[in-house]
Amino acid sequence: MRISQQAKQENRNKILKIAMELFVNKGFEDTTTRDVAQATGMATGTLFNYFPSKETLAMHMVRRALQQGYKDYKQRKIGNESLNEELYLFIFSGLRKLKPYHSFLGPVFERSLSPFPRKTLCMEGEITKQNHLHAVTHIINSHGFDMSENTMISTMYWSVYLGILAFWVNDESPKQQESHAFIDYALHFFVQAISGTELNLGINNAK
Amino acid sequence: MQNSLSSDKQQIDETLLKLLPKTAKNDPKAEKLASFLHQITYKKIPTSSFSRMWLLGSLHTKVAAGYLAYWFKSRFADEDKKNNLKNEVHLATALQLFGTMGYLRGAVLKIGQTLANFPELLPDQFAEVLDSLHFEAPAMHYSMIREVFLDEFGAEPEQLFAKFEQKAFAAASLGQVHRATLHTGETVAVKIQYPNIAQTIKNDIRNLRLLLQPLRFTDEWTSLHAKLEDIEKVLLQEADYLQEANFYQQAAEMFQNNEKIVVPKVFTSFTRTCVLTTEYLAGVHLNEFLAQNPSQAQRDDFCHLLTVSSLRPYYQRKWYAADPHSGNFIFMPDGRLGLIDFGCIRVMTDQEWAINCEMEQAFMVNNEAKIEQLLAKASWFDSPKDMPAEHLSLIKHFSLWLLAPWKTKGKVNFGKKEFYLDGMNCFIKLMRKGYTRGAPVYLWSNRSILGYRVMAYRLQGYTDFNTIFQQEFPLRYPS
Repeated sequence: MRISQQAKQENRNKILKIAMELFVNKGFEDTTTRDVAQATGMATGTLFNYFPSKETLAMHMVRRALQQGYKDYKQRKIGNESLNEELYLFIFSGLRKLKPYHSFLGPVFERSLSPFPRKTLCMEGEITKQNHLHAVTHIINSHGFDMSENTMISTMYWSVYLGILAFWVNDESPKQQESHAFIDYALHFFVQAISGTELNLGINNAK
Repeated sequence: MQNSLSSDKQQIDETLLKLLPKTAKNDPKAEKLASFLHQITYKKIPTSSFSRMWLLGSLHTKVAAGYLAYWFKSRFADEDKKNNLKNEVHLATALQLFGTMGYLRGAVLKIGQTLANFPELLPDQFAEVLDSLHFEAPAMHYSMIREVFLDEFGAEPEQLFAKFEQKAFAAASLGQVHRATLHTGETVAVKIQYPNIAQTIKNDIRNLRLLLQPLRFTDEWTSLHAKLEDIEKVLLQEADYLQEANFYQQAAEMFQNNEKIVVPKVFTSFTRTCVLTTEYLAGVHLNEFLAQNPSQAQRDDFCHLLTVSSLRPYYQRKWYAADPHSGNFIFMPDGRLGLIDFGCIRVMTDQEWAINCEMEQAFMVNNEAKIEQLLAKASWFDSPKDMPAEHLSLIKHFSLWLLAPWKTKGKVNFGKKEFYLDGMNCFIKLMRKGYTRGAPVYLWSNRSILGYRVMAYRLQGYTDFNTIFQQEFPLRYPS
């Protein structure tokens, strides 16, 4: 039986909604694709037509949230931010949208974004990474630096960002307040490293 | 933006440069020191317990090493050189303290501010450099401020206020202050706290306890431990701006409109645990006021207001305003005194209050035996006989000095150097001899009274203290 595009989209949304509830309440590790399929009232095989793995399912939520965060960042950007400030704004706009998923994102990031060699790549994770780096390249270049996605700067940034995500998912302080100072410090460190001098800090390149 | 940031930095650097003493031979323009200050001013806040611990440890070591180096070098120097050397070491130590405290903020910054309140006890350089901590601490950038607002209000500053200045106009010990305008037109001061400062205070105190572990087998440990607990409690209370808003409102009720003491109104709809919005008071701080060469009458007026503002909360609410430094008072152009910080208030327990009243009464009627008995009790001895004679004598001398204005008929000259130094030197002797045992409340009473005494001394003001005391507390001692 063929189903319409609209019905497909509705099914996708239903799966995402139910999966999120399960991940939040039961934990990502303890939720199986069978659990999600059962809760949505479909066969496990059918679920795989929509999302080939549990990781893909979770990373799809992440990608959607970060896309929203990117839109927020563009709206919120004033235009007089230093590089450090702008990256802070960009990253926090994304993290704010990820907050509803905070409790279960640790293992999701570990499996989908790890920079170490893996047998299977999570395509949603790869797309998320590419989108993020694309946006960051634009930000960094607009401050007078030259960052193509294959350079050292890009690798260094991604390492810093993964560190930030790791800190944030482990941050149990109210409203993840501890992450504020950590992220600011990490970004100062990064901007200072690419600026080459302690005092420049990318500020001189603010547009 | 670029120009504005560069000029800000330049301005801060120039301020720092002005603060530095010039040594003709070695560094006539004090450039090396200015460069060092520049570096430490822009350091960010370390968040992990480990890095803070390391810094606290290194602070301790640096101060000790500085003085050790002085002691060693001075053995080979003649008298003049010795003095120069001493000043150099004092300055280097002050700079190290400045660097580390500006870096750590939180609890350690509070200690820095206390040191800054003793201009003539410590070498001048200490006081000048440390005093700048009130206003020169590095700022949170605006993107961070916006995130704090989203966490606290679910809205951006521009959505909440008609106008919000992105740049802070003052640093507070636990955050920074921005000027803003409400949609109803009032200009307000918005104090914003560094995220997670309460946790960093807890970490600092824990680290201080660790640093002090070698003292755990001494007689002083119990007292020290109790004091640290009290400090932690007061600092954590200070990190709760809703509590501070409550103190503001209670303070406002104590002063009438015609008394020339102003407590800014709190705007509760714009206040949360980490954000405090109050009416903005235009005026200057003590240094700027003194730079205007005020007349003796103006000095006396403010000295009077300062006295009323300290005695009323004490007698009416049993409060010690435990952080009375120059950054917390506004000298308004129309002669009114603005009180702008109610974070560091230590409320006395009924028991502490009863002991204070008893002590004050004994001093007022010169009951020597009672005075000694109460001082022994306050220092956690069973009787005066159990106290070392020097300890008892010094603490009695200091207490007499503290209460001297209460007993003086007519005007007290708070600017009199001999009087000021007598008490301060006695206090330092008590500290150096290690005669610090006692209930934690005396930490705050000393800090409060000494803080006001320093302000009054710098004002060089006269005031009829006894009359104010009679008005504020007309003989209501328990019988």
